[in-house]
Amino acid sequence: MKKFLALVLAALMVLSAVSALAESEKNIPELTTEPMTILLWDIATEGVGRTAQEDAVNRFMADYPNIHVEQIHKQNDTYKQDLQVGFSAKEGQPDMYIHWGGGPMAEYYKSGCVNDITELFNTYDHPDFIDAAVAQSTYDGKVLAIPFGGLSGCDIFYNKAIFDELGIEVPQTIAELEAACDKIKEAGYYPFSLANLPRWTGSMYYMYLVARHSGNAEFDAAYDGTGSFTSPAFIYAGEKIQDWVNKGYFNDGFNSMAPDNNDDRALLIQGAAAMMLHGSWQVAGIKNDDEEFYNDNLGVFRFPIDEEAQAAGVPQDVEIGTAIGNGFSFNCWLDAEHTQVDEEKLKACYVLATQYYNDETYNAIQVEGGNTPSIKGYENVDDPNNKVVIDVFFSASNVQLWYDQYLPASVTEVHKDMMGALFGLEKTPEEVGQAQDAAMAAARAE
Amino acid sequence: MAKLQGMAKRDARSTAIAATIFLFPAVALLIVYMVYPIIDTFLISRLKWNGFYTAEKINVGWDNWKTLIQDELFWNSFLHNVILMVCSILIQIPLGMALATFLDASGRKSNIFKILWFLPYLMSSVAVGFLFYYLLATNGGLISGIATLVNGKRTMVDLLGKNPHALYAVIGVVAWQYTPFYMVYFIAGYSNIDTSLYEAAVIDGANRRQYIFKVAIPLLGPIFKTACTMSLIGSLKYFDLIWNMTQGGPNHGTELMATYMYKTSFQKFNMGYGSAIAGGMFILITVIALLFQKVFVVKEDY
Amino acid sequence: MNKIINPQREKTKSRIAWTVAITLAVIWVVVTVGPFIFMVVNSFRDKKMMGRQGVLHFPDPWYFQNYPDVISNGFFGYFFRSLFIVSISLILMLIISSFAAYPLARMKFKLRGFLYAGIVAMMSVPMHVTLIPVYQMTNQMGLINNLFSLLGPYVAFALPMSVFILTGFMMTIPSEMEEAARIDGCNKYNMFFRIILPLSKAGLSTLAIYNAVGMWNEFAFANTFLNDIRVKTLPLALGAFKGEHSQDTPLILTVLTLSALPTVVMFIIFQDKLVKGMMAGAVKG
Repeated sequence: MKKFLALVLAALMVLSAVSALAESEKNIPELTTEPMTILLWDIATEGVGRTAQEDAVNRFMADYPNIHVEQIHKQNDTYKQDLQVGFSAKEGQPDMYIHWGGGPMAEYYKSGCVNDITELFNTYDHPDFIDAAVAQSTYDGKVLAIPFGGLSGCDIFYNKAIFDELGIEVPQTIAELEAACDKIKEAGYYPFSLANLPRWTGSMYYMYLVARHSGNAEFDAAYDGTGSFTSPAFIYAGEKIQDWVNKGYFNDGFNSMAPDNNDDRALLIQGAAAMMLHGSWQVAGIKNDDEEFYNDNLGVFRFPIDEEAQAAGVPQDVEIGTAIGNGFSFNCWLDAEHTQVDEEKLKACYVLATQYYNDETYNAIQVEGGNTPSIKGYENVDDPNNKVVIDVFFSASNVQLWYDQYLPASVTEVHKDMMGALFGLEKTPEEVGQAQDAAMAAARAE
Repeated sequence: MAKLQGMAKRDARSTAIAATIFLFPAVALLIVYMVYPIIDTFLISRLKWNGFYTAEKINVGWDNWKTLIQDELFWNSFLHNVILMVCSILIQIPLGMALATFLDASGRKSNIFKILWFLPYLMSSVAVGFLFYYLLATNGGLISGIATLVNGKRTMVDLLGKNPHALYAVIGVVAWQYTPFYMVYFIAGYSNIDTSLYEAAVIDGANRRQYIFKVAIPLLGPIFKTACTMSLIGSLKYFDLIWNMTQGGPNHGTELMATYMYKTSFQKFNMGYGSAIAGGMFILITVIALLFQKVFVVKEDY
Repeated sequence: MNKIINPQREKTKSRIAWTVAITLAVIWVVVTVGPFIFMVVNSFRDKKMMGRQGVLHFPDPWYFQNYPDVISNGFFGYFFRSLFIVSISLILMLIISSFAAYPLARMKFKLRGFLYAGIVAMMSVPMHVTLIPVYQMTNQMGLINNLFSLLGPYVAFALPMSVFILTGFMMTIPSEMEEAARIDGCNKYNMFFRIILPLSKAGLSTLAIYNAVGMWNEFAFANTFLNDIRVKTLPLALGAFKGEHSQDTPLILTVLTLSALPTVVMFIIFQDKLVKGMMAGAVKG
């Protein structure tokens, strides 16, 4: 018996030695032994994000005692402004900073504040990110960011109790969704809970209706100028939304309600509203707010399909959301004019972002907190609601990043204004499209 | 005669020296922290630039200014500022004056009122924005509640979500927050009036009301004009609560020059045009304020 | 005969006037205090219960954990740093602005009109315009993450309005008082400290209150200059309770309640000075 145990132990030791060997064979750049300071900006002011990210930085500093990482937590709501002010000065710019990809990432890159890491990315180890995440970290064929925040889909959350009470099945098509809304409205509930003050929430309806009606085709065309924001899918989306507003599908006063205060979520939890189209972070949010409601009453389904469009051959698999959540870009240079790359520091940042953020310890904390890393192999989650979101995400052929992050910053602002006006019935879908076209044309001209 | 002239000259010189000494710290600070930035703003307003140190700066001459002059959104925002200004002067100042008059007339025993009335001014704009977000909420807010009571049936009032009342709702909140300041300001003004004037008025047979309207208020004239100037300038460059409550929405219905400038500079990465807006704002406000000074503030005799 | 005032009728009239005035006064108290109570009451709510109960009902049950949570999150650090920088800025600002207002109000010299107009113009500078140039300067001076980086902007931004108000106040000081002092042998410097400054107390206290509240709640400069958690001021403390997708509202209200307290106390102390201020001096003269 003892012998056997010893054998097992020995075997285990060999195994661990092998795995240690495998680990030491990791293909990562060798870092300097000189003292170095990395200035890192993030928005991890609270919660799981903060725990996971501070832990990653501490583990990095323990392994590389000569490198000090100064981790600054900025406030989310003023972060973009802070970054811009930070980049306005010659000194004191962050060496490594979080962003959401899309238009602003391109702007930072064009302004000389992002290192091109294509070579590092192709030479050295990094987590096996899902394709959509790599795509969203790439601009102009260059890899510019390392994802680390986990993916977020966008789906409809619903109150099962109300659906059961009214005998409603989960709608598969937009027509069925409208029928369900009519029934819900008649029973005295709000069909949808919406807090549209920041406008990106209303934008979710617009993006999905466009995507269901035309796949990616019309949006891509409107984006590169070969099409227009007044093309049929956009008009369809605008008209549907205004029709839904007129029919009272949304809660009263939605245009002045803020999702940051969780008022939209509250309407769902209170049982005043039956559904809510929202980002998948709401899974953790609702669970955290009211676990009882979450376990008994909460369900999730995907935005229904457009039957007519499907019959015409339009793909119905577009998922709105973000595959990277947050990404880190690097800003390591030897001179103030950003002409010479500080290779040593860049390597250190790369190792930190790929091997400490995004490693198993980090990802375990992320998963615990309800986030899903955008890395292959994390498709399998236990939580039934989260599973719906994730399954949809991993099976979606393409992920359309939120318009308000994808578009250039100047167009984003117009888009958001227009979402307020569209839902507020102050502008027609046609006018909404024209305003976005004009902004897009101006941005392209730059 | 010559000696007298010499004395006058010496006096003028000593005055100039004293004035320089007293003014130096203020002027120096203002040059560093305000004059320099405003000059910088005008310089940037001739560039196409996103504010990044390493980004390309393209000189576009007066293009931004030409755009500004034709920019409907800017003039619309200016109009909102003017509405805010007129309403602020018409609400905050008379109300502050009335409150101060009550406090002055009732004396020490009304101190508790003074403290309670001042509370709105002590709350930070974040708290105020937050509070009115809930009080004005369409669903479950106070205004909807009152409307439901009055109408006898469930009535939803969407004050902040629709135009044009969003602007007036915000103006009301601004008035709520700033009235206490004018109240305190007028109390200070009242306390500046010599008590002997009150005694003299009473001896002349004047009652309280007559004293207030015939003696006190005319004496408060200069204070009153200063208050108007402050309210005027404050309203024309207002930012805080609008940003916290509506961010200029819905559909630019509460957009002010400052929020428009902020959005352009910092959210659209258009520092050049944002600076032109800021420059335009600076010129407009200064001109209005100086005109107001010229028209309403008679040069003091001293 | 008509002009003889009937004392009885006057008394009734005045009693009615007072009743009306006091009723209105009490209504106004409700308008001003109600919201304050809202803030305090909601700081005793459990965040999780907010969704279910709404914010306009009393918390059920009352939740007391927010206060220990905020305090254990370094509240006093934030608090004392704010107190420190605001006090210094305020005192400095009051000294510099009264220095500047004196010659503008009481002396005749060449550039007077120009300087006065310039100061009015400086009042119209929008704050956000200065953010980038001032940040660049602060950066060059190596003052980022230094509490004193706020001193310059705080004093400078309060100056134009303060000088403007004080000049107005000093202009109302009767010139006879100055005359009398001059005959007593006061020069321009003594005059300022002996006559003008004491007589401007009412204006100075108004300004102290006005600017203290502004500085105490100032966010933009502090947020830009102070990154290190060890130097952050009170308005930045809210950031710790705001995430990317949601915020902890009751905790934020707790911070706001705690931060409002010192300004309330300060007002209670200063408001008395407002009334006494000038009167004391004027009567003596």
